[in-house]
Amino acid sequence: MRTLDPRAILEESALEVRGDGKAGGGLVLAFQSLAALFSSLPNTHVQEWPFFSSARRGANIRSFLRVSAKPIAVGCEVTRPVITLLMDEVAAKAQDFAEGVPHGGTFVINTRRTPQECAKHFHLSGRVMTVPGDDIGMQHLKHAIGNVSAYVAMTEAIGGLPMDDVVGVFLGQLKKRRIPDVLIERNREAMNATKAAIQVGVFDEARPGDHASTKFEGYGVLPIGAQTRLRLSQNNKTATYARSGFRLVFEDPTSACTGCSHCITNCPEGIIRWTPDAETGLKVHGADVSSFCKLCGECIEICPEKLFKEGKFEDHWVESEPQEARS
Amino acid sequence: MSTLETTLGPSPHVDTPGGERYTDIINLARVKAAHVPFYTQREAVTADGNTAAALASLQMWRAIVYPGFPITPSTKWIETVAAKVGAQKGTPKRVKLLEAEHAVADYIAGACGACRDLVFITATSSVGLDHMTETTRSLGASGFGNAMIIDVYRATANYPLCIEGDPSDAMAHRDDGFIQVCSRGKQQIYDSIVQLPCLGMHPEVMTPTMPGYYGIKDSHRNAKFWVESDAAVHEFQDRWIHECDLPGTINGDTAMGNCVTSRHFQGFKVAQKRRIERALELLPQIGADFERTFGRPGLAYFDETGFDAGKPADVVVVGMGPDYGTFESVRDAWTAKNGTTTAGIAIRLINPFPREAVRKRLAGAKVVLVVNQAHHSGRGHLTLDVADALHGVDNPPRIVSAFCGMGGADVSESTWEVMLDEAKDAITTAPRQPYMVFHEGARL
Repeated sequence: MRTLDPRAILEESALEVRGDGKAGGGLVLAFQSLAALFSSLPNTHVQEWPFFSSARRGANIRSFLRVSAKPIAVGCEVTRPVITLLMDEVAAKAQDFAEGVPHGGTFVINTRRTPQECAKHFHLSGRVMTVPGDDIGMQHLKHAIGNVSAYVAMTEAIGGLPMDDVVGVFLGQLKKRRIPDVLIERNREAMNATKAAIQVGVFDEARPGDHASTKFEGYGVLPIGAQTRLRLSQNNKTATYARSGFRLVFEDPTSACTGCSHCITNCPEGIIRWTPDAETGLKVHGADVSSFCKLCGECIEICPEKLFKEGKFEDHWVESEPQEARS
Repeated sequence: MSTLETTLGPSPHVDTPGGERYTDIINLARVKAAHVPFYTQREAVTADGNTAAALASLQMWRAIVYPGFPITPSTKWIETVAAKVGAQKGTPKRVKLLEAEHAVADYIAGACGACRDLVFITATSSVGLDHMTETTRSLGASGFGNAMIIDVYRATANYPLCIEGDPSDAMAHRDDGFIQVCSRGKQQIYDSIVQLPCLGMHPEVMTPTMPGYYGIKDSHRNAKFWVESDAAVHEFQDRWIHECDLPGTINGDTAMGNCVTSRHFQGFKVAQKRRIERALELLPQIGADFERTFGRPGLAYFDETGFDAGKPADVVVVGMGPDYGTFESVRDAWTAKNGTTTAGIAIRLINPFPREAVRKRLAGAKVVLVVNQAHHSGRGHLTLDVADALHGVDNPPRIVSAFCGMGGADVSESTWEVMLDEAKDAITTAPRQPYMVFHEGARL
């Protein structure tokens, strides 16, 4: 299939880029660095901004970037990006990161998965670039933060940007934030390690209607004064606020659950799954982590048999648990 | 008549209507000499709107104390000012973090009253500006042209809370007695703040200024803009700003805010109105001087798009803020598709509203599409201003009043197209409603 060349688009008109991630994950820094990189070029105009509302750490956020050889007048959000970045796979649970991307666009994803796996999973048609940014961050920065690698991957996706400039601008952004020199050097190492870890493939996995822009259907009935339901509401999917990259895992291969119910009474979201049991009263067999588990850790702390733990999101990637009524 | 005695003998003084002014108490030349420049030459900077506003605020030698209290989306203004002041060795500048917005406004009132020749700048938003209201009205009434409150537009309500930008705060404060100028884009933000003290401190204006820009859409959006050298900024400002004739409480035998009876209160208000109307005459002159000096457009009543000399457009858009840029970007394609000529103005001076200039610009149009982005109980703040401007015009254009982008909602290209469609229909048929609300390409 034919892919869109970001560099050619930039030369002809304006390059529009969008990113999805979670607050605290470094998405804003990655986009600010891209803006600074293009800003350093002569006769290039940029427009870059994040959208995060009153977000707290872990909430979904978006970033936008426009680059053009002409002054940029347009002020609306980017809805048809040629390149889109998914900084955190969990963010894709609440937001279609590929929405509006034209056929043949570029999808940059911070993941351990291959481009082919991602194309199939997210139904993508175009150029798919993956980079295990969190792993690279862990290795060099002792922190699972993928924005360093995602930024490098984005510059590769756009093309034509010398690596020295790519690195220099990002490190310049860190210096502005008064990051210690030792950490700046580690960021440099992480950036240099990224290029070899980027995988690229071209796929055509989108089905008709996939990633189409959602049509605004009106606001519906709004409660007066934005009166909200309680946090336990089924509508407030608190899982999107969970710690990035991890999810709750329940394992009880020896049927050790004693039915003490501590996890059930302490779970603030009421999502522990259980069934009646003639011997112990009840048996816990997991938690609905699809929508509501924010990884508060209450069940992990309280379970006397240590049956709950945190697992890496990557290891539990496939969405297997259906959303159920809570306990 | 009292005379200030010092160890050096009687202080030279002059009589003013506001009391005696002692001419050797404040040494402005020393203040200016103490300024440590932030930029020694013109530089291109990529930063957000709050940073652009902070840099302009810092470059003025007359601004040496920055009182503030953080509120989203203006917080980065004081963060940037504090960081830059803290990092600059030898600067006399200081940042004063206060307990709340009301305290900030009171601090400004006291400081502006103490020395009318120094500029006191802060930034706030939304309910922060509301908290200041008691004092902002006093600042407006007291002739403190040396007061500047940068308003980073944000919806005014806490239930529901929205931290994004619409100009409802600025619109709600149009009677505070400030000169209010809306900027769009980083360059305009920077340039406006450099110019506004020249207008506010002019002896025939003496009115505080409130530069503003949209929260998030401009305050948090990065773009490239030019920062002039501090020396160039000083040279420009010094051409317009001269030592104030009125005394302050440091250098004069005077008091602020005395109680007056109804016999005089109205007289003060008449003078206040005249001063702010004088700003209408001076603003373009300062803008023209700025353009001559720096080669960029200076202060203006509004930005213009698509006016062909002598040929009125069918539809003229009246809007403000960065979303107007989206109209500019869709205009050619929409015009080509619909065969209806369009032009537009993006209002910059929102108080005093430039009625005469707007009237001239809208004359001859068939329809005026007014785009309001702030909550209003009726047809919209801008709509009422435009209707006022068109009062008495022969064959006045029909007004289509639109609301969109409230609470900082995105105003997409399709939203502009459907608003323009509505305006086109109004060429032949009266608008179907007194006002309409648009979002995501739909009329709600």
